[in-house]
Amino acid sequence: MNGKKKTIMAIVLLLAAAGLVEARIKLVALPERDATVIRLDNPQWTLIEEERVLTLQQGLNKVDFSWKGVSIDADSIRLKALDHPGANVTLLNVSYPPNEAALVWEISCADNYAETVRISYLLRNIDRLITYKAIADKPETFVDLKSYLVLRNFSGEDFDKARVLLDYGEAFEQGIDHEETKQMLFLKADKVPITKMWTFDAAKLPWDPEKLENKNVGIPVSYRIVNDAKSGLGEFAMWGGKARLFQDDGQESTIFLGEDVSGMVPVGEKMELYIGDSRDIVVTQRQMKDIQVPTHKNNDKAPKVVLYDTDEIITAKIENFKDGEALLTMIQHIPGEWDMEECTLDGKNLKLGVDYKKKNANTLEFEIKLPARNDDGPAVKELMMHFHRRHLRSGYKG
Amino acid sequence: MKRAITILTVVLTASAANAKVDLVTLPTRGTVQLTIYNSADLTLVRESRALTVKEGRNKLQFSWANTLIDPTSLEMLPKADADKIDIADLAYPPRVRNLGLWNVQSGISGKVPVEITYLTSGLSWRAFYMGTLTEDEKTMRLKGYVRVTNNSGEDYENAQTRLIVGKVHMIDQIAQLARRQYPYDRPGVEVQDDSRDKLLDAKKKVPLLGDAPIVGHLFHGEGLGRKEVKKEGLSEYFLYTIEGTETIPTGWSKRLLSFDVDEVPVVNLYKFEQQRYGNSVVRFLSFKNDTEHELGETPIPGGLLKVYRGAGDKGHLSYTGQSSFKYIPVDEDVELNLGAVADVVVEPKLMDLKTANYRFDRRRNISGWDEIRTFKIEVRNTRELPVKVEIKRNFPTQYWDLKQTGRVGNFEKEDLDTVKFTLELEPRSKQEFGYALTTYHGVRTEGR
Repeated sequence: MNGKKKTIMAIVLLLAAAGLVEARIKLVALPERDATVIRLDNPQWTLIEEERVLTLQQGLNKVDFSWKGVSIDADSIRLKALDHPGANVTLLNVSYPPNEAALVWEISCADNYAETVRISYLLRNIDRLITYKAIADKPETFVDLKSYLVLRNFSGEDFDKARVLLDYGEAFEQGIDHEETKQMLFLKADKVPITKMWTFDAAKLPWDPEKLENKNVGIPVSYRIVNDAKSGLGEFAMWGGKARLFQDDGQESTIFLGEDVSGMVPVGEKMELYIGDSRDIVVTQRQMKDIQVPTHKNNDKAPKVVLYDTDEIITAKIENFKDGEALLTMIQHIPGEWDMEECTLDGKNLKLGVDYKKKNANTLEFEIKLPARNDDGPAVKELMMHFHRRHLRSGYKG
Repeated sequence: MKRAITILTVVLTASAANAKVDLVTLPTRGTVQLTIYNSADLTLVRESRALTVKEGRNKLQFSWANTLIDPTSLEMLPKADADKIDIADLAYPPRVRNLGLWNVQSGISGKVPVEITYLTSGLSWRAFYMGTLTEDEKTMRLKGYVRVTNNSGEDYENAQTRLIVGKVHMIDQIAQLARRQYPYDRPGVEVQDDSRDKLLDAKKKVPLLGDAPIVGHLFHGEGLGRKEVKKEGLSEYFLYTIEGTETIPTGWSKRLLSFDVDEVPVVNLYKFEQQRYGNSVVRFLSFKNDTEHELGETPIPGGLLKVYRGAGDKGHLSYTGQSSFKYIPVDEDVELNLGAVADVVVEPKLMDLKTANYRFDRRRNISGWDEIRTFKIEVRNTRELPVKVEIKRNFPTQYWDLKQTGRVGNFEKEDLDTVKFTLELEPRSKQEFGYALTTYHGVRTEGR
């Protein structure tokens, strides 16, 4: 199918007679690559460790390491003697020949050795991706989660057989050729609990769907997964990657719900995956009052307002046309300095810190339980915020 | 018959260090299920095949040249003896395109049913409606159709066809993933392959899909036997499963009747809002997606509706207009914009303008005043049918006060600078009402 690629990296052992100032150079051996480790724990670079047996002679040895068509960070290349470390086999220096992708190690040897050495270097264009596939049950209470490791080798080098190491989990053996991509299952967790969330952020979504001709305002829907032991996870940080979500349709099949990209999720943290939009929850938000109330004027002959407050009312009508209940997270923003005169849900007073949260100085979060639609029509809730912005200094318009 | 997707099973002897090909089979596709989306160019394909495997290492080659399959979505699962079948990995070999190779370790020999799923682009569905108003325009016969189009490059024979209404969140377009040179791209380098793009662009004449409708009671190919459709809400979507199977070769479309409701009560609603529609009155046909209107079983996804009106006893029709509408949840109102009309007229006239309550600062410059505008609104229905008219008035400021005169009921405050008047007019009738709008300016806004 694919022609085996010839190894591009080469090691040539050059023997220099000990004690001679002018090296008497002789090609001795072209050692084969032995055990190879591909370490993929750094997102930017991949560390390759390979072992080779060098036939070293007593005295000074020169080992030429060269590469072509691969992107190796020359400063990252290291050599370590494994059989006779220390004084018996000593790396004296490293030199770089001009205009070549190569380096030469000078190794001093106390005796003749068939020495196993480990050469390590950072190699570009070989990496790994993580992808997720989750199948939710019909009631959307949990997902069966699978994670796939995708190895991509575009480094220019073939790896016949290598131990692949991630930053967690067991190492495994895998060969991968240049320009080859391999996808393998590496995490499977069944019945991972999920929380389904609907979020209306007043800063991101249109307020009045009626003003949009023939366009629905979708309320973003997300699944939340916690990376902890309770979820059957929590052993290690979950790397970021693309997640595709499906749902069991109860007919021995699935439907595709949507996809999202997650960042890295450390242990104990939450992964939130935006799957799609709900068009069965409709929010109509309107500004019903926005009045400026001057508080201070200057002493000009034509006094100007220098400081004013506002008197504002915002209402949000929330309609649930779904057959099921939903918990809507509503995010509201009030810029600057402000205080709430009255905040109600269906006419009942809401208390800050009890019924709704202040996420930061200018952001409020309401969690609104929406009952299912009934025979009379959609379930309707109405939020009202009557607030004042304080001490505004400019832009007074009479 | 064109067949772009092929599967080869290559069985390798377990003990051989070097792969030795023992047997090559080409398993036929058993069943196939298509789940087609309308908010994105996306179809989930699920097919079953019976593979012949031998104990030991097996390689399964799956190729999809000239299709629009997203290779990163490929998945194979054994449907029997799952504990004896280990799908070790899926490799995308170098220097070969549109080919995947599953390495399968089998503990058994013989036939193993497997299910292969993947996402493809190129299959689509959209819906459209035809409405026929009765002569009195009190009810409308509403017929919904769906049109399924296959431009995927693959023939899907006898496929169970399912349609999804809903807006899925996508990171990548499936068509773009399908045309990548390498399934997961390559590290650090964005690969562009123009020649392939052109090839696929030529194939990819998939119409851009808006929302398309399905309501329905019955699906049937026109002129063919009736087909039941199973409707079900799943997550935020609606799934419609068409009874039996459909065969749609690539390049072909198929039109199916999704529902036919005889008498949907409708209201002729006319709207006037200068800020939105200028000086024209715009006609809307309004009804509700509920059981009272013979609907309400499922949401109605948006689509284009052509409206006709019965003309005469012999079943002749006149074309009234067309309107596209958005997705309508169950119990939600539907308003079909049929465009500007001349037979219902709304004429607002400014009858009087006064200013008052001037305020002056210490330099005797004007610092505040009121403006009082008196409007007369004349509404004429020249049709032989009763109509409902909704008039919205937008004001240039939030500092205003309104006093109404005339027979029209109270106005509603829509938001801080908009009010709405609603009128019902008998056939060939006229109504008039007026209001005095006071707007406050400068320091006169203070304390309001």
